[in-house]
Amino acid sequence: MTEAPYLSINGISKSFGPMQVVRNADIEVGRGEFVSFLGPSGCGKTTILRMVAGFETPSTGSISIDGRDITYLKPSQRNIGMVFQSYALFPNLTVAGNIGFGLRVAGVNRADIDQRVKEMLALIGLPQLADRFPWQLSGGQQQRVALARAIAPRPSVLLLDEPLSALDAKIRVSLREEIRAIQQELGITTIFVTHDQEEALSMSDRVMVMYQGRIEQIGTPAEIYNHPKTSFVAAFVGTLSQLDATVTDIGRGEARVGTATISGLSLPDTVKPGDAIRLAIRPESIRREQRDGDQTLEARIESVNFLGAVIRIKLTIGDVALSLDTFNDPTRPSPANGQTIKIHFAPEAVLALTD
Amino acid sequence: MKRIAAWAALAFGTLYFLLPLMGMTEFSLKMRRGVYSLDAYARVLADPKFQETFSYSVIMAVFTILFGVLLVVPTAYWVRLKLPRARPYVEFVTLLPLVIPAIVVVFGYIRLYNTSSWLPLTGTATGTNILLMFGYATLSLPYMYRAVDTGLRTIDVTTLTEAAQSLGAGWVTILGRLILPNVLVAVLSGAFVTLAIVIGEFTMAALLNRPAFGPYMQLLGANRAYEPAALAVIAFGITWACMGLIQLVARLAPKPAIPVKD
Repeated sequence: MTEAPYLSINGISKSFGPMQVVRNADIEVGRGEFVSFLGPSGCGKTTILRMVAGFETPSTGSISIDGRDITYLKPSQRNIGMVFQSYALFPNLTVAGNIGFGLRVAGVNRADIDQRVKEMLALIGLPQLADRFPWQLSGGQQQRVALARAIAPRPSVLLLDEPLSALDAKIRVSLREEIRAIQQELGITTIFVTHDQEEALSMSDRVMVMYQGRIEQIGTPAEIYNHPKTSFVAAFVGTLSQLDATVTDIGRGEARVGTATISGLSLPDTVKPGDAIRLAIRPESIRREQRDGDQTLEARIESVNFLGAVIRIKLTIGDVALSLDTFNDPTRPSPANGQTIKIHFAPEAVLALTD
Repeated sequence: MKRIAAWAALAFGTLYFLLPLMGMTEFSLKMRRGVYSLDAYARVLADPKFQETFSYSVIMAVFTILFGVLLVVPTAYWVRLKLPRARPYVEFVTLLPLVIPAIVVVFGYIRLYNTSSWLPLTGTATGTNILLMFGYATLSLPYMYRAVDTGLRTIDVTTLTEAAQSLGAGWVTILGRLILPNVLVAVLSGAFVTLAIVIGEFTMAALLNRPAFGPYMQLLGANRAYEPAALAVIAFGITWACMGLIQLVARLAPKPAIPVKD
């Protein structure tokens, strides 16, 4: 993020009794940016979202929007829209009633409410459902209405708390594309909480990965995936084979893995020959075809998993295990268990993890 | 064999419940010698005392219901939202009117609020009416609280509240526009039970010397033969009508937003 932050979360922590669930988190979100908070259950991502919404008060730190401190404002005074995992539509109100609720509370006149409700229904593609009640809608439709309700009062920030988790896989994919398109069309600053890495990587301008109340890494989806800074991020985002290695030559970027030696690695400045280091490589970075500059190793096939478009092969080099992903090619024979094959990878594809 | 036993139990229960009712109804129709007639009902309905006491009790029931709703809905909502750990204790308190006899409650009231106390409610008719309304609200508290609490259980109170707050709503808006409409059926159930309790209540009204329907029924029962039976049938009719209304309004309840299949 290069411009001045629109939403600033400064050194916030949150404790529930003796348990600290968020530890000194600093996040800056630009105007119109879509940032995902990604992490396993209990990592503190939803707690940060709830502190931004005003449902929880930070134990320490502050939150500001466009330079205005909102840390201790009531939720109703923040002008923040929120979409919940369980939709949280008001059962006694129709779709139009739900979407217009925030405007009615704000004292907007009837004609303007009707106009805005029509706009929102058109935006979510459900103009014919204005008079239906929530129980008459599918899960996907309910979540679209919840989104329209949240953005109808033109909030300064939109918070999405795992809005796709309760939907089935196909609806999830189509709705995440819709949400992203609407967010870009309106240019609304958005925070999206999810534990689904595919959602986070596909929708976001930037992703913040959290673990045990701490921010592990903030970066673009490509940075998070290709250059994870910690072993947790490496393991949590995508599939990664981690290999214990010993540094043998700093100048040539050389390390020994089991009985094999890999050279041309980008080793951290802090290591010296003889140090133990953890290397990591993604399954799709390992190939069965050689290219210029590739490192080549011999590996034994332990198992072959057919995943449709992709075949995932579990390999061992000595006692080190790793995975290889290859596209399914019906014209080629499938690899067999127990077979010894040559595998190839670019040294740049190997990550040296610092912790 | 099990089926026969079940039918036998049902038949016994039905007879146990219906026979006295049928007997009482038949007796209430025998006021004119040798023929069935509605004379007892006509006499009861024409009695100005009946109209006066019944109207008084209905008005008292309306105020009791309003007071009960204002007391119970916010309390049950707040307990569910902010004090879930206090729920067993609040439930215990709401059950106390079932174990403390009405006569104990009313004597407590008379001692606390008599004309020589710091709040002499029994000194005026209006004050005594207010006191009686509090007493009725206390008697109906176990039913009203349970009905509302059950209604609140069917909705996600916390998330709906947070959703409304994020849209700028304050507590009054949340309670009035969202929570109350969504538990309206439960509130009406509690209201009809309250109506039935107030219409038939005797102890409090008699000891506070108010012209209510309960003491009138007792007075009539002590002095007449056929009219009390007719009055009892009318009272049963009112109770059953209330129960029928509970069933009717339950059909009009807003349904929880469980999504239909995509």
